[in-house]
Amino acid sequence: MTASRGELIAIEGVSKRYLTTSGPVDALRDVSLAVGESEFFTLIGPSGCGKSTLLGMLGGLVMPDAGRLLVDGAPVAGPDPRHVATVFQDPGLFPWRTALENVELGLELQGVAAARRRRVAEELLAPLGLAGFAAKYPRELSGGMKQRVAIGRALAIDAKILLMDEPFGALDEQTRLLMGEWLLDIWRRTRKTIIFITHSLHEALLLSTRVAVMTARPGRIKAVLELPMEHPRSMESPEMVALRAKLWSEIREESLRAMQ
Amino acid sequence: MKVALLRFGLLAAVLAVWELAGRAANPLLAVPPSAVLPALRDLLLLRSYPDLPASLWLTVREITAAYALAVAAGLATGLALGMYRLAGRTWGPMLAALYAVPAVVWYPSLMLFFGLDVASKIAFGFLLGFFPITLAVLAGVRQVNPHLVTVARAYGAGTLAVIRRVMLPSMLFTLVGGLRTGLALCVIGVIVGEILGAKAGMGALINHAYGLLRTADYVALVLVTLALVVGSDVLASLLERRARAWTE
Repeated sequence: MTASRGELIAIEGVSKRYLTTSGPVDALRDVSLAVGESEFFTLIGPSGCGKSTLLGMLGGLVMPDAGRLLVDGAPVAGPDPRHVATVFQDPGLFPWRTALENVELGLELQGVAAARRRRVAEELLAPLGLAGFAAKYPRELSGGMKQRVAIGRALAIDAKILLMDEPFGALDEQTRLLMGEWLLDIWRRTRKTIIFITHSLHEALLLSTRVAVMTARPGRIKAVLELPMEHPRSMESPEMVALRAKLWSEIREESLRAMQ
Repeated sequence: MKVALLRFGLLAAVLAVWELAGRAANPLLAVPPSAVLPALRDLLLLRSYPDLPASLWLTVREITAAYALAVAAGLATGLALGMYRLAGRTWGPMLAALYAVPAVVWYPSLMLFFGLDVASKIAFGFLLGFFPITLAVLAGVRQVNPHLVTVARAYGAGTLAVIRRVMLPSMLFTLVGGLRTGLALCVIGVIVGEILGAKAGMGALINHAYGLLRTADYVALVLVTLALVVGSDVLASLLERRARAWTE
């Protein structure tokens, strides 16, 4: 945990237990992390390891049982779209709104005047690759387009932090790779801090500046890998091959445990 | 076009049968259309019942009041029961059971509570309209995709914004159906209330004509009331169509 990064996000000793019908489940136990400004920070780990819970806490949608989370020095008390924008695995577009109106949602909820939020949303559509689709409804869009609209909705409110919970998890491999390149481009231009959840080693290695590997439930931080290489990266470089092997050995162990 | 022709034919056939049957029957009990037409003319020219406009207006106001109350209370109750699961599980089945009780059994006590004036009619119209609206809202809340609520909350929506921007649009379809049924039942409640006991309003006029065996006037009054009911339902169906176009 290097203070020199300028901690934008501090997670301190956070635990969470869910009460289910089959008894209590420890989702997270004593998780601590610090993420600096403009990092592309990826959380990876077996299913059910509490990654989404952790992201939900940062977004103010889930409250921890113990420990605390600070964003820009202030404890997270609830959803705060001025600091944090979330992209979910399910795009969650409102079916009765057009692509443009969906992008406007956050601004609308903040009470931004109609003309202004329309302008912001319209300016976002072209870089999102949705120039001709402003008036289309979600059911008329492909999976990748829907997710880009959802990302547009997150970018529109111009929060410093972008939380992305497996945003490309439901897309096919090719679309997923292209969306990754596209997101990298957005990240480089906006310098946002991205907390990214994925199951894909490939995605984690190509995109992140750091990757945190989480343990099987109860989720803890097992290891944090630094990925200092420049983008775009090649999976064939010796550095990447070595990192891939290291990452896989960390994850493999936990995935095996999670399967048992 | 074909449907319109068929409808017209059906109407003509019904009128013809009515005419034949009416001529054969005791004129105190049944009247043919040929007798109703002059009565309707006298009614509309305010010869037979000069207080027709006032009565009609009173009934319309009673319906409006009853419906406004039913919509407000139905939305509030349905949303509350739908959003707080414990409350919904406690009260939902009781509401459905109460809805199954023929509402007219409550009317005597409503008259005792609210008297013979407008209040008891509004109360009865409200009582009839409230249940279908509440139950439609309750069913509608279950159709809301909880993920969309999460998204809205993540982007800063409070409870009211969630209701307005997520829940109401999500359940519009069911809601509009319930609102339409609710309106029809409000109209029925108010008019039945007036017939069962009132000093004024369309129901009171109908009761008067019927009681004096002025059968032709009675039928004419029923036709005017029918026009009111059909008019309100046409209005509701237009709104429903707009809502439908909007959600699709």
